[in-house]
Amino acid sequence: MKTPRLSRRRRDLLNCAPTSEERVRDRPMRAVIFRAGKSSEFVNQQNFDRAVAELVRAIPIPPETAEWFSTDLISPSKWTWKKTVRNPAVLAIGLALIVIVGVLVFQFVARLNDFPGSATARKLLAIAGSTRSVLLDPVNADAGTLSDLFFMKHGLEHYDVPPEFADFRTIGCRVFDDDESRRIAQIWVAEKRMQFFLFPAERDVKTGAVLKFPGWRYVHQENWIGAVTQHNGVCFMAALRGREKDLTPYIPKTKQ
Amino acid sequence: MRVTFPFCKISVSASKQNIPQLYRFCFLMLGDARKAQDVFHATLREAAARAAQGELPDERFWLFRDARWRCLEASETDLQAEPVGLDEHDIGPEAPSQIEQLDPTQLAIWISCAPDPQRTALALFYLDEFDYREILNLTELKLGELSRLLELGRRQFQAWLYAMLPQKPNLNV
Repeated sequence: MKTPRLSRRRRDLLNCAPTSEERVRDRPMRAVIFRAGKSSEFVNQQNFDRAVAELVRAIPIPPETAEWFSTDLISPSKWTWKKTVRNPAVLAIGLALIVIVGVLVFQFVARLNDFPGSATARKLLAIAGSTRSVLLDPVNADAGTLSDLFFMKHGLEHYDVPPEFADFRTIGCRVFDDDESRRIAQIWVAEKRMQFFLFPAERDVKTGAVLKFPGWRYVHQENWIGAVTQHNGVCFMAALRGREKDLTPYIPKTKQ
Repeated sequence: MRVTFPFCKISVSASKQNIPQLYRFCFLMLGDARKAQDVFHATLREAAARAAQGELPDERFWLFRDARWRCLEASETDLQAEPVGLDEHDIGPEAPSQIEQLDPTQLAIWISCAPDPQRTALALFYLDEFDYREILNLTELKLGELSRLLELGRRQFQAWLYAMLPQKPNLNV
């Protein structure tokens, strides 16, 4: 039987036809073998190839080479922690997890000392850091006496300086609205260039009730420290640049 | 010489990297058992070292690809036969019986004398280990080129068989 006329590609495929069925893995090859399989030319080629392949299989393997064939030598390498950790993908995922956990822990620790109004207190500490004394109205009086000024001039009720800070001499004061339109009273005193802030206490969104907290609480912001207490729905914060220990002597020991 | 590689474990990604076939491939490429062993051991030693460092390429046929270049490098230092046009002959029906009379070494020497990439193509094809697409991948040849090299190889080998063996071609077939 003569070889049927085949396209160039099919002829090429036929020349590469394997001798064993298991190597015929794609449809074009199977089709071309099916078409030309019985031609004498192809039969000769296949017989030739099989004989050569048989001769190749008869190539002896030297004994010293055969030791590589033991299963020990070619078994897949063992999984190890060390190897896994060295994998760049695992390394990247591990680092990402560490960073995420670190951020979560940091945020958790930061929230541990949170109290109603702590966010406002931090904002006011930032304001304290950027305030210049010329921005305030000069007032030379005891800080405790400014409650009347705030009430009469600005209509602010219960904006009272606690007794422990009432005797401090003031340099100036002002009243301003913060970004949430809350009325804030700011007092600058001569003692350690301390600043006092009075601002409305945080309220429950649904009921409008004041969210109370007992005693004094500390907040930190950009090298500033503040001690906050609440009375009659108004928060008072004494702030200075420094550490907690700089403020502690002024705070009654009942602080929580 | 006994070469030992204690505790070396080579990750072989698939049965595609058949180790005995790797030796046969080296033998076909070089036509010399000693050189074939050297290349075979060098290839596996390299693989073992890389495996120990976890750097064994996750590439199919890496062993064969590496062994191929080592074989070509090793044969570069040999005396090279001058390129001469070999006789060609159609494959005859008596070819299998002629081939049966050969020793594997004779076949290996014949293949190893072929110029590359024909040498690699013939060695890989007659290992009966890979299909044509895998050979194309390994040799980086196109289908037409592989086809031409194999066809030429068969015709040249048939002519050599007729020249070497006493049996004469049956011209009537």
